[in-house]
Parts: sequence; C-alpha cells; structure tokens
Amino acid sequence: MNPKLPPSIPFQPVDYAAKGCHFDAVIAADKVVEAAALLDGAGFVLDTITGVDWMAEGQMELVYDFFRLEEALRVAVRTRIPRDNPEIATISGVYPGANWHERETHDFFGIRFTGHPDLTPFLLPEDATYHPLRKDFVA
Amino acid sequence: MTTVQASPVETPRETFVLNLGPQHPATHGVLRVKMTMDGEYVVRAEPVCGYIHRMQEKMGENRTYAQFLPNTSRIDYLSAMTCTHAFVGAIERAAKLRVPPRAEYIRVITSELNRISSHLVWWGAFLLDLGGFTPLLYAFDDREKILDLLEGITGSRLTYSYYRIGGLYNDVDEAFLKGTRQFVAQMRPRLKMYRELVTENIIFRKRLEGIGPISAEMCRQYGATGPVIRGSGVAYDVRKIEPYSVYSEFDFMAPTFPEGDSKARYLVRMEEIAQSLRIIEQGLDKLPAGPVMAEKVPRILKLPVGDYCYAVEAARGRFGVRIVSDGKEIPYRVKLRSPSLSNLSLFEEASRGMLLPDALALMGSLDLVIPDIDR
Amino acid sequence: MEPQDDAQILKDCPPCVKFAKLDELLALGRANSLWPLTFGLACCAIEMMAAGASRFDLARFGAEVFRPSPRQADVMIVAGTVNKKMALAVKTLYDQMAEPKWVIAMGNCAISGGPFVFPGQYAVIEGVDKLFPVDVYIPGCPPRPEALIEGLLKLEEKLTGKRRWPVVPPQ
Repeated sequence: MNPKLPPSIPFQPVDYAAKGCHFDAVIAADKVVEAAALLDGAGFVLDTITGVDWMAEGQMELVYDFFRLEEALRVAVRTRIPRDNPEIATISGVYPGANWHERETHDFFGIRFTGHPDLTPFLLPEDATYHPLRKDFVA
Repeated sequence: MTTVQASPVETPRETFVLNLGPQHPATHGVLRVKMTMDGEYVVRAEPVCGYIHRMQEKMGENRTYAQFLPNTSRIDYLSAMTCTHAFVGAIERAAKLRVPPRAEYIRVITSELNRISSHLVWWGAFLLDLGGFTPLLYAFDDREKILDLLEGITGSRLTYSYYRIGGLYNDVDEAFLKGTRQFVAQMRPRLKMYRELVTENIIFRKRLEGIGPISAEMCRQYGATGPVIRGSGVAYDVRKIEPYSVYSEFDFMAPTFPEGDSKARYLVRMEEIAQSLRIIEQGLDKLPAGPVMAEKVPRILKLPVGDYCYAVEAARGRFGVRIVSDGKEIPYRVKLRSPSLSNLSLFEEASRGMLLPDALALMGSLDLVIPDIDR
Repeated sequence: MEPQDDAQILKDCPPCVKFAKLDELLALGRANSLWPLTFGLACCAIEMMAAGASRFDLARFGAEVFRPSPRQADVMIVAGTVNKKMALAVKTLYDQMAEPKWVIAMGNCAISGGPFVFPGQYAVIEGVDKLFPVDVYIPGCPPRPEALIEGLLKLEEKLTGKRRWPVVPPQ
C-alpha cells in the first residue's frame, strides 16, 4: 500500500496500464466528506466528480477522482446512493473546487448535495427542471 | 477664535451589478460574469456558464466510440489533437491495442504543433483584451503556417479528427517533415521578436506584474492545472508527472515561474512554445519507420465492462476522459474532465477587490475556452 | 414643354456626369462597408478571426471593423452553435441591430444545429433561422476563411445585384 494514501480509506490497487487509475476505493455515502478531508490533508487534488446512473440496479454511483502533483498517483473513491432519493453530503467545504463539479452533477442527474451553498443550474438554463443524463430522460 | 472643521460626509457605499457577456469581446466565447461592483472595484464576480452547452457527454451515450471521435475535436477546439488523444488513449488502454511507435511519435509532434497554435491564439486574444491589436495579426500569421502543415496531413484546419482508435488516419509525407523543420527554424527568431515587441514593453509589464496573484494552495484546492499552476511555482505537467504516449523519451522542460501573477502565467506559455519547438525537433529526428495503425482493430469496438481513464496535458491544463463501459458498442458514460472549468472556478475568489480591467487581465491570463467548460 | 429623351440627354451631357439610382449608390456603399457584429460563439469564431487576420484579410472587403455593439453593426455573422440558453440573447442582439441589417449563418451549427443534433437532444436550437431570417448560409464545420469571404461576396451580390470578384472556376 502506498504510504501517501490515508490508511483508513479501503483502497485496492488497480492495473494502471489497463484502467488509467492506481487505486480505487468503495465507501459508504456518509463517509465521503471524511474521505475527502483525509485526502485533502494528504495533499491530493480533486480531479473531477463523475455521476453514473445505474438505472437497472436502482442506484446512482458517484466517482470522486483525485491525483497528486508531485508524482503519478491517481485514486478514485466511489460511492453509491439510492436512485429514488439521491442525496449525499457536499465536499465543497473541503475542496472549494467541488462546488462547480457538484452543481454540474446535480444538473445532469438530480443528485442533491446537502449543505451545498448554491445548488442552482450550472450548465442548463436557469429554469431547467430536467436532468438529461438520467437513463429515463426523454427530451 | 475657534476654526470650524468640516466633517467628512459619509456616503453609503452602494454596489451595482454589471453584466459582462454573454456577448462580449473579452470573454473568449460565451461566458457571462455577473459582477457586483463597488465603483471600479469588483466585489464579487460570479461566472454563469452554459451558453454553449452542447451535450457532449450525452452524445457520448448515443454514439459509438468511432462516431464520438469528431465530437472530441470540438470540446477544446484550439487544442483539438490533445482532446482526441485522451479519448482514443482511454479506448486503446481498455481494448489493449498496441499503437505503433511511428504513430506515437507523430502524435507527439502534432500535439505540440497544436499546442503552439493554441498558445498563439491565446497570445493574440490576450493582448487584444489588454488593448494591443497588432500582436493578433503576427500571431495569426505564424499560426497559418502551422495550419498549412496540419491541413496537408489531416485535411482540416481546426477540428482535426486525425488520431483514430489504434493509430492515425494516415501517415505523414515528406512535405510535412520538411515543412515542420522549416517552421521550427523560422519560429525561433519570431519568439525573440515577440519578446522584444511585447514582453519587454513597459505598458505591458505594468498591466500584468503583480496582477491577479494566485497561490499554489488555491490552485490545488480548485484543481487548476496547466499554465495556471505552473505560473504559481508548482512544476505539475501531465507529460512529466504522469507520462503518456512517448513523452518520457523526450528531453524538455515544463517551465515554472514562482510569482503567481498574470505575468508569470504569460511567461509560462511563451516558454512553453519554445519547449514545444524542442520537442518537435527531437520528434522529427527520432521518428521511426513503420505502420501508423495498430493491427487487428475491430470494426465494431466493444470495450470490456469497467471504467477506463486517460489524462493528457492539453494547452490549458489537464484534460481527462473517463469511459464507463457496460460491454456494448456505445459507452455507458463518457466523462470529460475539462481544464478550463477548474481554472475558471477560482476566478470568483481570486478577483475579489480587483479593478475591473485587472480582473479582465486575470481572466485572459487563465486562457479559457468556454466550450471546454460547458461541453 | 417637349418630352425629354433620356438617350439624347446622356449623349449631350459631358462625360463626367453619370446618372444612377440612389438605391444603387446606397447599396454599393452598404455592400462595401459591411460592419460585422463580433458574435463568435464556438469553433467557427476562430475561423472568423482567421478571416479577419493577416492572411485572409477581411479588410479588403470593407468588413474588418468588427463592432462589439449591435447598434453599430450591419451584419451579424452567427459563428457557432446557438443553444436554448443563449437563444434569447441572440434574438435580443438581432432586435437591437438597426435597419438595414443582414444575417450570415456561418457553419453547420448555425444552419441546422450541426453535428449536435441527435434523437433526444435537449439543448441546441436547430438552425439560427428558427429565430430570425438569414440571408446567407455558409456550410462547413468549420468553413474555411475563404468560404466566409465567399459568403460575404454573396451578401454583397444580394445587396447590389453584382459580384465584386468573379467566381473562381474549379481547377
């Protein structure tokens, strides 16, 4: 296990040549802020937040990508939330850059980030009420 | 006798909202910034995006891997080669395709030519923002020479779809190799002329030195990469830290300046043009012979189930692609990590209390391409 | 009074007097000094900038002065994709331009939505002529600067009835 990684996050090594990522962890949705704070303390940078709509499984997945500035170390932290009531705590208190990533994910999937200072539409029109990247979205 | 002292009249400070854009010559695309102003000083600058949202990520779920390739050129159209590189790189990783070395070297050469042309557009447009019209004409003249070279091999001037899954569209010819060497030889004295014309100009220096300081810690918290973080002293370049393609075989520098102001970000990009010329020369010298397409690339490409990522150093910073595949011939999800989004996200915090023209100089020094943010 | 014979008048007048319709004169003036509105939205904007820059030089045709303000512009070159969030701003700019005004739709996105039209699309307006009338359509993704110049010459032809330069035959 890489010494730069916080030990309490259950990272598993990943084949970088095939996947492009070094370590991957699956955590519970309520542990996301704690994991982000640990990675922030260890000097990681938030790359992006990806939402994935697993409609067949009734879940939405959030993948938080992080990387380091001094050496090649990419890690992904994944979590799943129920699709009918998608809510998760915001990490914008830890990483200010997460503010816009979370707004975009809310735009596309309807995931509510509790505690977010301004969860208004970011890429969609200001009065948009639809979430286009959901698999059951009809234009 | 007492003197009467006039007491200063306290006028309550009133702010007003100034709307910059979405149609504005200085926003380099359709960006709207709601600026709460106190006279000439910016109290709060809130960027509003989405005016060029073109559903790229939704199209990723509606197009096969080959059909989505032209879209990748239109995300960040000024460094279109690098965006396509990230996409095909992720697919090649997933499908375990071995790209031939000649194709990798040509990818590096064309990516660096693209980087120079992107920096030239930035340079001209940035100086246009600051009020100087002439450098735009010089920059576009040099850029036309690069576009002639790339048009000869790709057929297109701006949105090349040159990199294909497994290699390249077609091989380069003698005219390209000769023309690129001539271009490198001719561009170096031009850089010297740019330095004398602009970089050492006293008005230019007064406009940029000390303007818009961004600390390395702010860059890390917002995820700002590329010349923004290298202008704040952190030597982070994806080509050096997380090398991809054949960049590890090249000898070049990722220029870094510690001051963190707009002048530092400017100097990073000017130095990057010089470093790209070095990379192109080394690429031309070392170019191996061979095919330019991998063997046995399936006509109908289906990636195994799972997530695949690839990150490249685009002209603006770290551009990443994450493909989630469920085994079918169209991806389940394509996520595009855009450098301009992360670079712009720190603008609100960095521009507090600045004069309006200084805030615009800061925004120009971040080098934004708005379709990259809106995707 | 005896009826005037126009042909006789023309023969008698000294050669420096020319008769022309005022409309034709105004049309010539307007066509030779079309001031575009800086309205680059996306990728086509870069080719529009290249058309205005050193090699292709729109200044030769009188169209180099890109005005940021719609009040001062004659022609709106819509260069790029118009999406639903932007549509109101585009229409407002068109309304703010003073008559006589023309519109050039540059690029596939402005003509019909371009490569961004797919079943289930939710954001793009499929062609700027759904918002206001367009005079010249320039296809391409992005169209070359020469195509933009040809589009401008076509607009001049629409205004004056005559082409400034002959069409270059294919070689």
